[in-house]
Amino acid sequence: MIWEIWKQGFTAWEQATAQYMEKVLNNTSILGSAGALLTAAMKTKAATDKMMTTWWSTIGLPTRRDQERALHKLNQLESRLYDLEERSAQPQPRA
Amino acid sequence: MKAPKSSLLDSSVLDSLVALVKRAPRGLPPVGITPHTIAWTENKWRLLRFSPARRRYATPILLVPSLINRWYVLDLGPQRSFIEWLVAQGHEVLCIDWGTPGDEDRYLTWDDIGGRYLGRAVRLAAADTGDVHVLGYCLGGTLATAYVAAFPEHVASLTALAAPIDFAHGGILTTWTRTPTFEVGSVLEACGNIPHALMQASFRMLRPTLHVAKLVALLDRARDDEFLDGFLATERWGNDNVSFPGACYERYIEELYRDNRLVAGTFAVCGRSARLPAITCPVLAVAFADDHIVPVASAQPLIDLVGSRDKQLVVDRGGHVGAVVSRKAADRLWPAMQTFWAERD
Repeated sequence: MIWEIWKQGFTAWEQATAQYMEKVLNNTSILGSAGALLTAAMKTKAATDKMMTTWWSTIGLPTRRDQERALHKLNQLESRLYDLEERSAQPQPRA
Repeated sequence: MKAPKSSLLDSSVLDSLVALVKRAPRGLPPVGITPHTIAWTENKWRLLRFSPARRRYATPILLVPSLINRWYVLDLGPQRSFIEWLVAQGHEVLCIDWGTPGDEDRYLTWDDIGGRYLGRAVRLAAADTGDVHVLGYCLGGTLATAYVAAFPEHVASLTALAAPIDFAHGGILTTWTRTPTFEVGSVLEACGNIPHALMQASFRMLRPTLHVAKLVALLDRARDDEFLDGFLATERWGNDNVSFPGACYERYIEELYRDNRLVAGTFAVCGRSARLPAITCPVLAVAFADDHIVPVASAQPLIDLVGSRDKQLVVDRGGHVGAVVSRKAADRLWPAMQTFWAERD
């Protein structure tokens, strides 16, 4: 009985809070600040990574980004080969 | 005479707590266990084939799940699995498992995923019969819709399940992604792929009280074994997320969320224009009234914009996930979709 009454109260609180939070999170000034914070944090991380990469590449070793690019190219090559296989398996129109 | 003890923890809550303690040694319920074979693997994605014991319908069904969640939301264990149910009805089902992107997949573009990979899945699924019914769920629905608009070949019908189409009405997610101080490029530069933790944090902000509400629902109903298994399976899926390939995400935000190009008719897949009026196959759009991730206003315009004469809109009650995997879905939504395909077999 008490649980049921508490649950009704909780549901009312939950819905009211969710509606209030939705309004808050739609507020452009809050969103603007959050976006600026995220962007600043990401730029800082990118700058730190770039510094490390530059240092790493001075000793002539491939950077993490180099390896990612090479792996991606390999995957692309595999996909293109599958494309070619598919095309060659299709019946060709007679000349 | 003593007054009866009354406490917040009445018998139903105590029963639920006991049920949870008893359930703990069994661990999480198994998911994604409907028998299948692997029809194709390429980079990280796979095409899974689920074959019925006795096939009743000629045209297979290709399921395209979201990129950022696991495919097994459509196969959440015995009696809760949409795939298991479809196979039992006699459908051949194929489902894409997008896999987990590696660091090198930051360069994967929308054209790679929604053009080359999805195109191969459609052609493989249609290899025996010539055509395939395509169902896309959430972002998978956007991928499928754009693909079908650009490459209508081999597609018998398109079903967009809670798929965002009109990004001008994408609710709070649209407001967030259109915030001028949010620079997509800086996130890509720093992270490569968009970390799933970052995306999950934004989904949690859509309804910050949801986790507490779930806990209360669990305390209220955990003594019901079926509910508990379903709850745990859904939670298992909900906490098993995937990062978004960087280059693909950039286009998703810039061209769809910000420029709304799918509706404007200026979106393209692999160099081919993806205009919605070019879709002429039968189309079924499904939206959910309580969906705060993809509001009805974002999913519904597909029906107004496609060129098909044979088109239907279903707006059901429920949220983005619950309405697709719940017991009610098994009673109403699954049969409605199955009827749509069966009538167009």
